Formats: sequence, C-alpha cells, structure tokens
Amino acid sequence: MLEKSTDIHDKFWEIFSNQNRQKIDEFKSYMDKFAVNFNLYKDGNFIEQSLPFDVIPRIISKQEFEKIEKGLIQRVTALNLFLEDLYTEAKIVKDGVIPQEFIDSASGYLKEFVGFSPSKKVRAHINGIDLVKDSKTNEWVILEDNLRVPSGASYPLSIRDTYRKIYPDFFENFKIEPIKNYPQMIAEAMNYVNTGGINVVLTPGRFNSAYYEHSYLAQKSGAHLVRAHELIVIDKKVYFKNYNGKNILVGAIYRRLDDEFIDPNFFNPDSLIGVPGLIDAYLNGNVALMNAVGNGVADDKGIYYFVPKMIQYYLNEEPILQNAPTYLPYFEKDMEYIMSNMEKLVIKDVAEAGGYGVLFGHSMSALQIEDLKMMIKASPRRFIAQELIEFYDEQCYINKELVNRKADFRAYVVVGEEVKVWNCGLTRYALDEGNYLVNSSQGGGFKDTWVMEL
Amino acid sequence: MKQILTTNVATSMYWLGRYLERIESTLYEINKAYDKIIDVDKDAGVKLYKKFYVDLEYTNANDFLDKAIKGEHSGNLIHLLKSARENAIISREYIEQAAFGEIIELNEIAQRVSRGSEKVDYNDIDSILSLISEIWGAQTRRGHRKASDYFLKLGKLIEEVDFRLRFGRDAKTTEIILDEIRTIFKLLNPELEIKISENENIMECLYKEMDKLIIV
Repeated sequence: MLEKSTDIHDKFWEIFSNQNRQKIDEFKSYMDKFAVNFNLYKDGNFIEQSLPFDVIPRIISKQEFEKIEKGLIQRVTALNLFLEDLYTEAKIVKDGVIPQEFIDSASGYLKEFVGFSPSKKVRAHINGIDLVKDSKTNEWVILEDNLRVPSGASYPLSIRDTYRKIYPDFFENFKIEPIKNYPQMIAEAMNYVNTGGINVVLTPGRFNSAYYEHSYLAQKSGAHLVRAHELIVIDKKVYFKNYNGKNILVGAIYRRLDDEFIDPNFFNPDSLIGVPGLIDAYLNGNVALMNAVGNGVADDKGIYYFVPKMIQYYLNEEPILQNAPTYLPYFEKDMEYIMSNMEKLVIKDVAEAGGYGVLFGHSMSALQIEDLKMMIKASPRRFIAQELIEFYDEQCYINKELVNRKADFRAYVVVGEEVKVWNCGLTRYALDEGNYLVNSSQGGGFKDTWVMEL
Repeated sequence: MKQILTTNVATSMYWLGRYLERIESTLYEINKAYDKIIDVDKDAGVKLYKKFYVDLEYTNANDFLDKAIKGEHSGNLIHLLKSARENAIISREYIEQAAFGEIIELNEIAQRVSRGSEKVDYNDIDSILSLISEIWGAQTRRGHRKASDYFLKLGKLIEEVDFRLRFGRDAKTTEIILDEIRTIFKLLNPELEIKISENENIMECLYKEMDKLIIV
C-alpha cells in the first residue's frame, strides 16, 4: 500500500516525467566506476557488488521529519542513559523496571565492564535506528535499535552528489535538506570523546562487506583508516604506527568491528582483526571507543521491549515514537497471547540480525507453527513476537516500470556534545513485491531520502 | 614532509605507481613490437619478452597482442591491472577521485578483455593507455602534494628506472630520474641518502632504501 500522495509528490512526478530516463543507468555506472560496493561472501567466494539503487527517492516533509527527529533524540538519549546506568549503578534493574534475568541473558551484556564509565559517559555515539511508517496508523514505528556498528550512511551520501549532477531539476525546484554534514557530525563526536591524540577508523580490512563505507567515512571525517596491526598498545596507550616507524598517539577509535573481535587478549583469542591490549587502554581511559564496548545489550531484541519504559524512567517523558507492539514469551500473559495468535505475529530470534531469524506466522504451515511453539516454550528468552506492521510501500522504478516495494528507513543519530539526527538516512526496499525483509543481505536495495520543505 | 600514513597505504601507493608505470611502458613496447611483427621482424615480440624473462610464442601480430596481454606468464597485463586496482582500493582515500574512477575503469576493460573469446584488439591498448594518461593527469593536477602523492611518484620513477635498465637506455636520462628519486627520498625522510657506486646493482640499492623509508 502506498502512502497518500501529496502536492510535493505530484510535483516530483511532474519533474520526473520530463527527465531523460536513460540517464538512470548513469547511477549504476557511477557506483561501478567508484566501487561503491557492498561485498558479500557467497559459496566461499568473495563478491564485490554495488548495492541496488532505485532512483525514486523517499520524500519526507520537514515537518514530519522534525517529529521523527525529536523522537529519535529522546530515544537515543534514554538508551545512552540506560547503558551508562546499567554498567555503573544498574538502578533500572534494582528498581524492577527491567528484570535482571533479561540483562544477564542478553548476549551483548558484558559483565566484565561493570563499573567502567567511558569518556564523557557517551556510549552510543553512532546509532542506526530502523523505522517504518505504519499504513494503519500513519505513524512512524521503531523496529530496531542498532547501537553497535550500524552501517549504510555512506551509500546515500555517495549517491546524492551524483543525483544532483544527473537530475539537477529536482534540486533547483525543491528545497531539499543538504546532507553533506554527516562526516562532520562523526568528526565532532570523535573530537568530543577524544582522550588526546588522533582519530582513527578501525576496519577489519579490505574484504569486509562495508569496506567502502569505512574508507569513505575515514576520508570525509578526516580520520585515518587503519587495520588492527597498524595500531599498537604500549603502556596502556594506543598508537598509530606511521610508515616511517614513528608511533602517533590515538585518542578516539571509530571501530567497525564487533566487540568479540576487537581485542584478542580480552575477547576471542583467535581474532586476527583485533588490537591486542586495546581494552586495557580503554579501561584505563586512555582511548575512546566508538561505539562503546558492551552496547550489544541495548541492541538485544528482548531489551527493545523495555525502551519505552527507559524513556519514562530516565526522562520522565512519554515516548514520542512508539515500538511495534511486542510480546515477550518470558511473561506468562504474553506467552498465552503468542500461543493463541501465532498465525498473525512475526517471531524474531533475539540473537539474529540482518533479516535472519525472522519468521512470519501467516506464511508458516500448521506443522511449522507447532514446532515453533515448542521452541518458544523451551527457550522463552530466545524469542520475541511482534504484531505484523503493514508498513507503506515505496514506488520503485525497476526494469523500466514503476512497482511497489516495502521500504524501511534507517535514521542515523550521532551523539557528541549534543544529540543530532542526520537530515537523511538509508531507505531500504525489499527485493520482491510483498516481501517485508528489506536488508541488503536479503537482496534489498536502497533509495535516497529527501527531507524537504513543503 | 609530515603525513600520517600507514605502512599499508604507503606501500599501496608505491605499488600503484609501479603497476601503472609498468602497464604503460609495457604497452608502449608491445605497440612497437606489434608494428614490427606485421612486416618488419616476426620475432620482435619474442625479443621484447626475453627482456621480461618470458618465452613468448605466437603465430602472427594479432596473436602476439593476445598472448602478450592475456597469456599465462608473469607479464600478464590483466593481472597487473587487477593488482593496480587492489592497491587503489586500499589507498583510495589518498587518490584523486577522478583517478580512482579511471583505475576501476581500467580493470573493467581488463576483465572484459579476459572474459571475451575474441582476441585482444589494438583499440583496447589505446583505451588503456589513454586512461593511464588521465590518471597521471588527475594526480598531477593536485595542488597540494602530500607524502602519499610522493609514494605514488616514487613507484612510478623506480619502475621507470627498472625499465630503462632492462632496455639499456641512455644512462644520462636514467641519472636524471635517479636524482628525482633522491629528492623524493629526502622529502619523505631527510635522514636517508641514496648512494649508488658504479659496481652496485641500482635496483637492489633502491629496494634497500625503500625498506628504510617504509618501515614494516
């Protein structure tokens, strides 16, 4: 279902109808030529490919975006307070808002970090919050919080310049919010928490799926792109190994690898992409890590359920943006509801991401549902259930025709001295009609997102 | 000259310079040999590849082009173009955007040529040479030069010396290039000085100094 068309959409189509559509191919040429890639491993082979791009942008009015912005600032502020509280005093648990069991069983919760407070007490610096617009309520709904290593911002950033060159008419006729400030937002966030030294972006390396993004953001934010062995820890301080053999002190690391791999001395000893001794330097306050270690607990799909309660608890405010209605089998009442309504619910495995581990009750056989019920009863903490949100489709121009595809929106919230929401985001659309999974790893593509004045 | 640069990037910029220069110089030599094979000297290609320690066999001028570019030997230009691309991707933050795009395009041509069942055409060579000229042009147009730019230049010049020595070209010009290399070494590390005596192998001396310049 498409959102009701507005004057601005009509104007868009009017301009679009006068454009040379053959020029659409130039977007693909641009992405190929500048290796704007999303890499994959398939059947043991490394494949470099550009992310499918659709020329029809998602248009969000400035007024509507302002409400999203307020809601996101509120949410990310609460999430930061939650993480800081959880790893220091844990008042939210002591006050019974979140059961201890939920924290202990969250895979991203790291007990070893209890008592540690990072630079400026900021933990979730760069956040990707996934939203959809519910076609029934016409409201934006939060589907997921990504507070570890959210990716994707570089794709709309890269394509916007090309868009302006290929189809300048849109930018001449509309007041579209500029988006070039994202790397600057990252630089400001890094500078804010920097403990003294240079800023670096730590990449797992050339063959990581988002290597293009790592390189792009490092370049544009003025940080230096490094791999693990290009950093060294001496006396609990992190140094950049310069080509001439001199070591340069590092003050902030925007790391693009998960906690598990970041330091083989502390986490996975087999990690070849981590920096030995990094956590020791971090725990001694000698370097800032963006995002903080242990944020995975807030990404946990079970903890997601409690975010509205966090907002009330820490900010004494009502949430501006709502969660999708969510049920936790852990609670008896919710378990009963899930068992009786499985056919209309979406069941998610809390440990999975990237569109994996998502099961739609309406597309499962009776036998599959019975099996799933047994699994949920056996491990209630492993699953959550959500009402299926019938979110709006976006029009896409695929194979020279306009088609409808489900699309979500990943907003980027950057926390430095202030909490800021980027005036853009990653609109991801599903590969096939009717498919609710929009993730790149599921074959989905992306669109530009235009926040504009009406 | 101060620039914060990882060993990986410094090395990649250096090798990018070397690969691009190697591809360009080899293609000029291939063009010359191709012309001779047509009606002057059927063995011109054999003689050329002897300089690269490769025994190349071909039946005619077009077959020579094909074997020189796609053949299974260490001078295979498709592999060189792929290596240039890899080094560019690693150091892309330090390369002019236009130049980076041309490098990717170079590899696209290489991939098309290597996939195709048809023989390599002289037009492909012209396209590659023209793209390489554009890459050098884009890099040269940079106003402010950083250490990373000098590593690229260093790679180009060292490869040029290598070629000149292989082909026994005049020593005077080689010495001028070596002077330029010395200047870049001084810029990147004032403590390093390249001294080459008459009995020494020039390339070995240069490699030794490179090992002092980029600390692994």
